[in-house]
Amino acid sequence: MSGESSDYTDSANRYRPSDAQIERLGRFSRRFRRNTKAMIGLLLVLGLVFVAAFAPLIAPYQIDTTNIEDRSEAPSLEHPFGTDDLGRDVFSRVVMGSRISLYVGFGSIVGALFVGTVVGLVAGYYGGMVDEVLMRLMDAAMSFPPILLALTVMVVLGPNLNNVVLALAFVYTPYIARVGRSATLSERNEAYVESAVSRGETDSQIIFSEVLPNTMAPLLVQASLNIAFAILSEASLSFLGLGAQPPTPSWGLMINSGRGFMESAPWMILAPGIAIAITVIGFNLLGDGLRDVLDPKVDAIE
Amino acid sequence: MSMFNYLVRRLGFLLVTLFFVTLITFAVTNVLPGNVALLILGPNASEQSLEALQQQLGLNQPLYVQYLDWLADLLRGELGQSLRFGDPVLGLIAEKLPRSLLLATAATLVAVVLAIPLGIISAVKQNELPDLGASLFGFVGVSIPIFLWGLVFILVFAVWFDLFPTGGYVPPSEDPVATLTHLVLPAASMGFALTAYIMRMTRSSMLEVLSEEYISLARAKGMTERVVVLKHALRNAVIPVITVVAFQFAYAFGGVVVLEEVFFWPGIGRLTLTAIQSRDIPLLQGCIIVVALIYMLSNLAADVLYAYFDPRIRYGGDE
Repeated sequence: MSGESSDYTDSANRYRPSDAQIERLGRFSRRFRRNTKAMIGLLLVLGLVFVAAFAPLIAPYQIDTTNIEDRSEAPSLEHPFGTDDLGRDVFSRVVMGSRISLYVGFGSIVGALFVGTVVGLVAGYYGGMVDEVLMRLMDAAMSFPPILLALTVMVVLGPNLNNVVLALAFVYTPYIARVGRSATLSERNEAYVESAVSRGETDSQIIFSEVLPNTMAPLLVQASLNIAFAILSEASLSFLGLGAQPPTPSWGLMINSGRGFMESAPWMILAPGIAIAITVIGFNLLGDGLRDVLDPKVDAIE
Repeated sequence: MSMFNYLVRRLGFLLVTLFFVTLITFAVTNVLPGNVALLILGPNASEQSLEALQQQLGLNQPLYVQYLDWLADLLRGELGQSLRFGDPVLGLIAEKLPRSLLLATAATLVAVVLAIPLGIISAVKQNELPDLGASLFGFVGVSIPIFLWGLVFILVFAVWFDLFPTGGYVPPSEDPVATLTHLVLPAASMGFALTAYIMRMTRSSMLEVLSEEYISLARAKGMTERVVVLKHALRNAVIPVITVVAFQFAYAFGGVVVLEEVFFWPGIGRLTLTAIQSRDIPLLQGCIIVVALIYMLSNLAADVLYAYFDPRIRYGGDE
């Protein structure tokens, strides 16, 4: 018998998902499809991703072509959402704006997940002083109203879109860290962690290859809810003039510039406003639905 | 753990957190671009006078010395002078803060008035049309940014129908009725965003109470459904709702920066924005610390209320 063939079967076994995992995935997808909230949320989010992906093909006009003769025109067949004070097509700008919202939403949450997960898992795994110091720092960051903290960070970084992503990643890190920590606390005393310790695995191996996969569910739920908040926050920051800068087609910024023309051209605020609402409703529904689907309490009943 | 010990421990946490808050505030405001001495004296200042002022303000000291000096002043309630207005920061904040608290309180009130009846109806008609309608309303409420609610309300109720002013503030000492009419639209726009959580809590709390034995007993005694729901069930169901209301007040207060900008409401939110726009560092520091403090205190109040009504969590040990 050659050593090679036994190695081969060994590695094949290792990378094949276990029956239990397949079953869990099947149960997850069944429950997800039965959850109306999750499905509507997923459809809205997928629709948004589609619009963002093909935005340049969907948008009928260039977003920065100004036309003084056509300014502040009411919605018509030619301009479904009307034109703004500079004669730009509002529909095209709203369509292109979807890219900004998704970029900020996903970008900031990926950043927050990255830092927050490390902080939360390390705090939960080590406990003691490490936990105390890290979590008090997170508490302090959460003692600021989120929008005020984001504003303050924006003042330091300077107003532009990439800095909005950084600022919001900073703001949402503690929320992820908290969820990661409490998930780790309930995993720390599980048998598989003890056996990893006795196998002589290093702390970072245990934290990131053993504990992390088991904390993914609550982290994902928190992340999808935070995306909704991040998109709202970007709109608020840009509305206050401290986020994206003109001529970026950020929905919040469009609403800010439409403010002065509320009476003569209300579509300038209503069109991007409805876009924000649909986007945020989509992510909120998805997050809420995911929570229902992944909640272990429901699992026990089924 | 007794309630008293719990309170002491939470206050201890608050102090530690507050220390970190001052640290973050100082760190953030000190890396702000722009030299304070240059801001005060203007671009035409001579090298010498700049040097002298920096000396006087302690700007040549190492950062940790500056921080400790600043912290010592802060503990004495000394927040410094606003660069923009030339007045003491404390006085400016004391003038604007009550207006923001009024706004946040009114918004919370609107939310409570909307959310509790809707929550009760949802619970009584669980999974029926009114329940779905209420939860849809709540969802839309939280998903639309506060500034957009504000602008839509201005458009509809001030511009199109001219029922309320588009913005601004009138002190109650001048004309209390005008204070109220100016309060309606901003309080309503913030209130809509807060409704969902309070409603959800009322609903689940009512559902829990309605399934208890004493309710069946009351029904068996032949009491009308109205009396059972509104008198017997609501009294117990409302307790957890109170804590959510306290959290929502904190949330409302945290949102005044945006709301006040929409309605030109001259509170601490707009003061913060002014401080940012004019790079008024002492004023910005003061605003951030005061807003964070009130935000923390209202969250603490919510936690304490929660612990008071539900002693189980006090024994949990970990936050």
